[in-house]
Amino acid sequence: MIELIKELCAVPGVSSFEDEIRARIEREIRPHASDVRTDAVGNLIAFKRGAKRADHPLMITAHMDEVGFIVKKIDDKGFVRFAPVGGIDRRTVIGKKVLIGKHRIPGAIGLRAYHLVSAKEEKIVPDIADMYIDIGAADQKQAQSLVSIGDEIVFDSDFVEFGDGMIKAKALDDRIGCAAMIHLIQKELPIDCAFVFTAQEETGARGAFGATFSIRPRIALVLEGTTAADVPSVKGHRRVTCAGEGPVLGVMDRGAIYDRDLFERLRHLADNRGIPWQTKRFIAGGTDAQAIQTTAGGVQVAAISVPVRYIHTSSSVASIRDCHHMVELAEAFIHSVAEDPGAKSE
Amino acid sequence: MSNLPTLLTSLSSIPGPSGFEHDVARRAVELMRPLTDEACVDGFGNACGILRGTQPGALRIVIAAHLDEIGFIATGVEQGFLRFSTIGSVDPRMLPGREVTVMTDPPIPGVITCLPPHVLSEEEMDLAFPREDLFIDVGFSHEETVTRIPVGTPAVYRAGCFPLGEDLFCGKAMDDRACFCAGLLALEMLQNAALPHDVVLLGTTREETNFGGAKTGTFALDPDVCLALDVTHAETPDGGPKNTDCVLGGGPAVGYGPNMTPRIRDALIAAANAENIDIQREVMPGKSYTDAWEMQVSREGIPTAILSLPTRYMHTPMETISLSDLRAMADLLVAFLKQPHGEEVAE
Amino acid sequence: MELLKTLQELNACFGPSGEEKEIRECIRRIAPGRIDEVRVDALGNLILRRKGSGPKVLFAAHMDSIGLIVTHIEKEGFLRFGNIGGLVAENILHATVRFKNGVRGTIVPDQSADRTKLSLNDLYVDIGAESEQQASSLIRIGDTAVYDAPANLAGGRIISPYLDNRISCIALLWAMEQIGESANDLYFVFTVQEEPGLRGAKPAAFEIDPDYGIVCDVTPAGDQPGSKHYGSSSLGGGAAIKVMDTSVICHPDMVDRLRALAEAGSIPYQNDVIVRGGTDAGPIHTTRGGVQTGGISVPCRYIHTPQEMADAEDVTHCASLMAAFAMSRLPARS
Repeated sequence: MIELIKELCAVPGVSSFEDEIRARIEREIRPHASDVRTDAVGNLIAFKRGAKRADHPLMITAHMDEVGFIVKKIDDKGFVRFAPVGGIDRRTVIGKKVLIGKHRIPGAIGLRAYHLVSAKEEKIVPDIADMYIDIGAADQKQAQSLVSIGDEIVFDSDFVEFGDGMIKAKALDDRIGCAAMIHLIQKELPIDCAFVFTAQEETGARGAFGATFSIRPRIALVLEGTTAADVPSVKGHRRVTCAGEGPVLGVMDRGAIYDRDLFERLRHLADNRGIPWQTKRFIAGGTDAQAIQTTAGGVQVAAISVPVRYIHTSSSVASIRDCHHMVELAEAFIHSVAEDPGAKSE
Repeated sequence: MSNLPTLLTSLSSIPGPSGFEHDVARRAVELMRPLTDEACVDGFGNACGILRGTQPGALRIVIAAHLDEIGFIATGVEQGFLRFSTIGSVDPRMLPGREVTVMTDPPIPGVITCLPPHVLSEEEMDLAFPREDLFIDVGFSHEETVTRIPVGTPAVYRAGCFPLGEDLFCGKAMDDRACFCAGLLALEMLQNAALPHDVVLLGTTREETNFGGAKTGTFALDPDVCLALDVTHAETPDGGPKNTDCVLGGGPAVGYGPNMTPRIRDALIAAANAENIDIQREVMPGKSYTDAWEMQVSREGIPTAILSLPTRYMHTPMETISLSDLRAMADLLVAFLKQPHGEEVAE
Repeated sequence: MELLKTLQELNACFGPSGEEKEIRECIRRIAPGRIDEVRVDALGNLILRRKGSGPKVLFAAHMDSIGLIVTHIEKEGFLRFGNIGGLVAENILHATVRFKNGVRGTIVPDQSADRTKLSLNDLYVDIGAESEQQASSLIRIGDTAVYDAPANLAGGRIISPYLDNRISCIALLWAMEQIGESANDLYFVFTVQEEPGLRGAKPAAFEIDPDYGIVCDVTPAGDQPGSKHYGSSSLGGGAAIKVMDTSVICHPDMVDRLRALAEAGSIPYQNDVIVRGGTDAGPIHTTRGGVQTGGISVPCRYIHTPQEMADAEDVTHCASLMAAFAMSRLPARS
């Protein structure tokens, strides 16, 4: 699992630039799926036959895309001006290394040296519109020969195992979810499932609409990464979730109220198997569930998420144990739904 | 038809804020009728014109430009003056002393109030009026106003278009009726083209509020490719390269970003290059705030692109465009539509 | 069906967004008149159909209420919470709340919070527990709570929690009582999850695919002292015919039709424009290829506080207007 997460995190895939990560995932899953296709927005949809047929497959999703940036302009001195794609805290952007475009041109998000910054200025973080990337070009013309307007800009950050079972990488949100899905699709499953690796989640759950409209599931399980703010300067409920304390079961976020019955089901499954779990202590964020839940005739949604510290930065951190527990609980959920769909509608 | 200033003036002058586009939609249908096989106002209020292709079962390409404009709506009467709220995103600094047309039948002219300098303090003079402190003066007594103008009556900026210099044109609702005109010019040029695929020009409603027309119109048409035409910001002395991507006269802008499917965008660029049409590029990193945002996620998702017309002073009564940019946009549409398009849609 | 009694009955049900089971079952039980089909969909919307051969009309009133959700238990036994739907700190301060299992508590501020800039993050629910352990024996994280306040008549008006949207549910139920012969195919939908984002109506409307939609909700009145006029209606001014809210601008034909019906039936009405607040009419009017949708609303003061106020006559007029629409001749959708 860790090797797979490492490999997936290394592949670039900013929202709407998912070709490479999609191809990488497709290679892994093709031998295990009965039908694989890519749709108009870029979702990768794979059907896996299970022991039991189902009129409506169980939909399981994780998003392929990561947050990043896009080239807006190449200025007259050869520096690259850029904009964020997805939600990025601009306080985590300066002084980071990035790779631009298909040729992965290295760049440094530059800033005026500390010595040249006044005491007043050091308290303020510039707008991203005022930031720039240095690709070492001699002038505008040379820069334009290396990168283009509209090019993908991705964080350059390696994979590190450290501490007591912790990992650091870019894009743990949501390559962890993707890795979990790859593990699940390789197993013998008790029921027909539709595995959807969605595109453009970070820009507003954009892929999930069309995938759901096409598949029309009754139940959907979202596998995600979610904020963990369990650091000393944050107290109590503002910690949201804690890395290492188990996967997070979805109750409510800004985009959706998760199906109560499915939440209770996950809670029981976890308790019965001794899988640690937690819930978000602060209502924030959103997942593909916000698009899935109200598409077409409606879907009962559930979510299992891994807590990720410093989410949406180049150095996100998660616990390996949480990742394993996510897969374990998701598998238990699939078996449970196969046995008893617990259809809500009458 | 090809007299662009006349066409622009005619569409611009019809009051039609979001939700009240009936008259604009009717005029749009009249203009499309001679250029299409079928033109009508659809169930939601969008103006829809279809130029059928020669092959049955060929692709359906929908080009959308919105017909609605921003405006106002009466919410009450106070001492004969109309209390009002806004429809769409209205810059409050445009309001004091502004002439408006209240959409009663017949229309009633009005002026948005402003306080004269001598009753304001020095600090107050520097600030824009909050919208809640403004009223529309219609010149009637309280009873007359209550009778003539029920709560819920819409209003728009007073109409009026004029040329600026040789190439520029200025008036209200260039956003987005200028782009609809580009669509009409394109349909004109395609009259005998005998394309294999269906081309639909969709004059959408409610773009300025909730993109409702694009959402419902696209669902009803179930297209294979969508192209949204809208305006984008052009440089001004106080809005330089940091805030804007384009200049007037530089040609239409092709959009880059998550809301634009690369192969459709690239097809536009290829068409421009083939016909030597100057284009600009515009990067939209997230929500594009155009009809394309809804079109892209309709049903199972649709390949979508955005083509923009550079505009100064957006959302004011003085929106300013370049006529040569507009003609170039129409030329580019024609070149794009003449392409085969089979591969962009195939998986 | 008497107003105060029915309101009390509905308010006794637990029904915050996402947990509408109790209120759904209550409405299903008391729904009057002929009902040919009952359906509950994946999200929990209650769909009651009275079949007809004519155009499909969808009447929608949301049955969920705003509430709180427990997110964290402090070691002293105080509960941290998030909002379900729109909650404003100053409106809920010192309100009594009750959980599904009957536990009660009161909403209190952190003693060191800045009282001039109070936010929900400064508040706790005090359920009288002395420790985290004791609190955990009473409620769990993820449990939800609603206002626990009485409903009373005051003059010709009613003061109660959850007039948003129980008063409108009652108006719709009264309309169902009054509707006689109708050629139209009528769907009475009590929707879920309106408060957190107009969520339930969207899939319900998609499935039904109606020709017309009428939404019954409360609408903020603009008739209190110092009002900033976020709403144009007044208590006692009659059924509020919706022209615009933040989620919809009603099609002029629909607005004209409702006005004409009100005039013909001598039903007092007022034109309603609000600049804050959206309704189920938002998602309904943009369903599939579009649905001509109107709103018939009960003007209401102090919305989302524990004690909202509405005029009893306005409720009657809303019911009459909805019934009139249900029985009217409607052209088939183009």
